[in-house]
Amino acid sequence: MITQRGFVVVFAGVLLLTSGFSFLNFYLVLLGVYCVIGLVVTLPLFALTANLAGIEVDRQIDKVKLFSGDFLRVRVTVRNASRRHFDFIEVHDQYPETWILAIGENFIASRIEPGSSMTFSYILQARMRGRYFLGPTEVIMRDRLGMHYYKRILKEHTEVLVYPTWKDVRRLESFAKQRQLGLMFGAHRTKTVGMGTDFAGFREYVPGDEFRLIDWKTSAKRGDMVVKQWEQEKNVQMICMVDTSGSMGNGYPENTKLEYAIRAAVLLTHMGMERNDLVGTCVFSDIVHGYVPPGKRPNHMYDVLEILAMAEPKGWSDYETAISHVVTQTKKRSLIIWMTDLEESPAPLLNAMKTLVANGHKALIISPFGPWFEAPVGQFGPVEKVLSEAVSEELWERRNKIARALSRFGINVINVGPEDFLPTIMRTYEQAKQRGVAMF
Amino acid sequence: MKVVTWILRIASIITFSLMAFMVYSILDPNDIWHWNAPYTFVVTVFRLLSLIVFFLATTMVGGLAGAFAAGALPDNLVIGLYNTLVLRTWYMQPYGVSDPLTNIQQVWASFFTNLNDVLIALWNNTFLFLYFLCAGVGIALFLQSLARMDHKFVGGAFISIQAIVILAAYRALIVPNIDPLPPDFLQFLTTQGQILALVSFAYLEVSYQMIYSHSVGKPVEDREETLKKQLLALRQATRKQDAIERGEKVSSTGMSRSTGATAFSFLREAMERKVMGGQSALESLDAVSDVRRLQIYVDDLLQSDSRARDELTAKAAAPSSSYVIGSTITGSAIRFLTVVALSFILISPNVVQMLLNLPIGIRDSVELIQPEIVMLFLVPVVLLFPFSAAVISWMSKREVVEGEKLTKEEKEEAKARKKNLARKRREAEKARKARAKERKKRKGDETGVDEWDKALEDAYKG
Repeated sequence: MITQRGFVVVFAGVLLLTSGFSFLNFYLVLLGVYCVIGLVVTLPLFALTANLAGIEVDRQIDKVKLFSGDFLRVRVTVRNASRRHFDFIEVHDQYPETWILAIGENFIASRIEPGSSMTFSYILQARMRGRYFLGPTEVIMRDRLGMHYYKRILKEHTEVLVYPTWKDVRRLESFAKQRQLGLMFGAHRTKTVGMGTDFAGFREYVPGDEFRLIDWKTSAKRGDMVVKQWEQEKNVQMICMVDTSGSMGNGYPENTKLEYAIRAAVLLTHMGMERNDLVGTCVFSDIVHGYVPPGKRPNHMYDVLEILAMAEPKGWSDYETAISHVVTQTKKRSLIIWMTDLEESPAPLLNAMKTLVANGHKALIISPFGPWFEAPVGQFGPVEKVLSEAVSEELWERRNKIARALSRFGINVINVGPEDFLPTIMRTYEQAKQRGVAMF
Repeated sequence: MKVVTWILRIASIITFSLMAFMVYSILDPNDIWHWNAPYTFVVTVFRLLSLIVFFLATTMVGGLAGAFAAGALPDNLVIGLYNTLVLRTWYMQPYGVSDPLTNIQQVWASFFTNLNDVLIALWNNTFLFLYFLCAGVGIALFLQSLARMDHKFVGGAFISIQAIVILAAYRALIVPNIDPLPPDFLQFLTTQGQILALVSFAYLEVSYQMIYSHSVGKPVEDREETLKKQLLALRQATRKQDAIERGEKVSSTGMSRSTGATAFSFLREAMERKVMGGQSALESLDAVSDVRRLQIYVDDLLQSDSRARDELTAKAAAPSSSYVIGSTITGSAIRFLTVVALSFILISPNVVQMLLNLPIGIRDSVELIQPEIVMLFLVPVVLLFPFSAAVISWMSKREVVEGEKLTKEEKEEAKARKKNLARKRREAEKARKARAKERKKRKGDETGVDEWDKALEDAYKG
C-alpha cells in the first residue's frame, strides 16, 4: 500500500517525466526515473520484512469489573516475536466510544527490535454501565521513508463489565457522615411488640397473660396489675422489578428512564442491606433476564449489580411472565416495587397484579413519566410543542386510568421524573419500614 | 533521537542549499535572475489594468454621452479621466504619452499597439516572476519542513525548485541536460545534470529520513510531555477545589489553555460539566469528585507501582540513536546505488541496444535517442517491483483483519448464554400461550365477572 507521501513522490516523478518528454530534456527524465524507481525499489524488501504476524499484542487491565465513573488502567505490551527489525510501527488500542481517556494516550509509534517488547499504558474512565470490550488493536507498519505501509487489526478483545454508578450511594454515605451519628440514626424502625429484648412499655394485665410478664414493682406503685412489654425489630422484604423494555430506553443518553430505574434499584438494595432488610431484584422485559432473590449473602450486592449492568432497553414488557417467575421463587410476603413506564397494554399489568395480590404480596408502582425524561418543551418549535403537549396529555390520562384501576386493590402508582426518582424510592423504603409492610 | 534528527536536519539544509544553488548557477547564463523581476511584473500588471480601466471608463462615458449629449464626447472629460485614473492613481504612462494628456486622439491612435506591447511584456515578465515565485515558495516550504517535519513540505520544496527548471525548459533556455547520454557509467555519473539530479534525490532521501527519525522518537517524547502536563493540570485543579472548599480566594490559574485544559480532555470535560453543564449542584459535585478521584487513583498507582510512570510515558519504547544512524546511512547508500544503477540501465540507449539486440535499421533510428525510449523499460521494471511485493505478501499469507480468537471457555460461555436466552424465550412463550388458553376457557364460562376485569372496564369507561 502506498501512503500519501508516496503519492507525492509519484506525482513529482510523473511531472518530471512528462516535462522531460515534452521539452526533450534528459535531466528531467532522469530525475523522474529516480523518483519513480526510488519509490518502488524497496517495495519487495519491505514486503519480505514487514510480516506483521511477528507482532504480538497483549492487553492487561487492573480489574474486569468496575463501577460506572471508575478509572481503569490499561497496559498494552507489543512484542516482536520475529527475527526482523520493524523500522516504524504504530499501535492503536481502541476503547469503547462512551469511555473517556483520562490520562496517557492509547497509541504508540516507535521502532521495535527483534525479540524485544515495549509497554505503554493509559487510564480510562468508564462512563456508562454495560458489557464492554477493549480492542481491537490496529497495528500499522511503515517503511523508513513512510512511503508504504501494511496494516493489521488484532481482534484481541478484553471484556469489561461496568456496574451501574455508585455515586448515589457515595452521596448518601457522605450525607450520613456529615450527620456524624450514622446512616441509621433517626430512621424509623419496624417493630413488633411481644418477644424481644428492647423495652416497649406497660399495659394492663388481661387474663391469660403469663405471670412472668407482670411487673410487680410497677403494679405495686399503680395499685393495678401491669404487664411489661418488650419489642424486637423486624425487617422487611422487598423486590425491585426493573422493566427493561425498549420504551424505558427513551430520554437523554445517560439519563434514560432505565438508567434512573437502575440507580434506584442499586440505592434501594444498598439501603436494605445496610439495615438488614432483604431486597431482591428482577430484571425483565418480554422474558426475565435475571432475578436475584432477596438475601443477605456477602455477594448479594454484586449479584444485583451484575444483572443490572447487563440490562439493555429492548423488547416489550411482559409483566405476567415476570411476576409468575418471581412468585414461584419467593415464598415469603414481599413488597414488590415495580419500576416501569406503563407504556404497555394495561390488561397484562392488571393480570400480573392479580397474581401478585393473590399470592399475598404487596405492590407499588414507581413509574417514570416519559415526557419528563425527554427534551424540554422549551426546545421545540410551535408545532412540535403543541404535538408534544397533546401526546403528554393523552399519556397522562392513560396512566391515570391505570392508577385508578390499581388503587381499588391498594396498589399505588407514583409518577416520577428525573429529579424525584431517587428521593421517591428512598421515601418509599422509609414508609415501608415505618408501616412494617411485608415483614419477615 | 533529537541528536540524530538534528544531524539529518543539517544534512537536509546542505542538500537543499546545494540543489538551489546549482539550479541558480545553471540557469544564470540565461540572464533570468533579475532581482527587480517581481516589481516589474507587478508594475506590468498595473499597466494592463490601467489600460483596461481607461478603456472601460471611456466606453462608459461615450455611452452616456450618446444618451445625453447626442453622441458628442467632451474631450476635457476624457482627458480629466485619463489624468485622474492613470497618471495620478498609478503614476505611469503606458501609452507613449509622457506629459499630461491634452489630446485624446493621441491615446486612441496607438491603443492597440500599446495593448499588444503590454501583453507581450506581461508574458515575458510572468516567467521572470514565476522563477522567483517558485524559488520563494520552495524556500518557504523548505523552512516549514524543517520546523514542522511534514513530508508535504519536503515534497513541495522539491517540486517548487524543479519547477524552475521545467519552466526554463519550456522557455527553451539553457537548462541542465544530459544530451547526448554518455555511454560510460562513470562519465554518466559526473555530468552536471546527473550531479544536480543526485543532489535533488539526496535532498528527498535525507529529508524523508529526517522525518522518520523525528517521528520515531517524537511520540515517546510527546507522551512524556503530555503526561507531565496532564498531571500538573490535575494537581492544580485539585488544589483549586481544595482552596475553594476552605473558603480561600482563588486567583485564576497561571496555566494557559493550550498547555493545560486543552491538552487534557478529561479535565476539560470535567470543567465544562461544572461550568456549562446542567447548572445543577449535583452535576458540579460529580465533576469535582471525578477530578479528585482521578487524582487519588493516579497517586495510588504511582506509589504502588514503580513502573507505572514509565509505562504511561512508554519510556522504554524510545529507539536507540546508534541503530537509527547506522541504518540510515546503510539504507540510504543502498537505495542510492540501486536507483542510480537502475536509472542508468533504463535511460542509456547503449544498454537498450545491448539488451534487445536490435536490427541496424532500428538501432540507427532517431527514436532511440529520444527521451520516450525510457518508457520501453521503465513501465515493466516499475511494475515488476509492486508485483513481486504482492507475490511475497500472498506467499506469506498475512491476514489484514484477524478473526476473533476465543478460548474454549469463552466459546462455551457464549454458547451457553445464547442457549439460556433461547430457553427463556421458549418458556415465556409457552407460559403466555397457556395463560391465553386459560383465559379463553374462563371466558366461555360466564358464571361470574372477575373483579379485576371489572375494575379495568370501569377505569376505561370513565
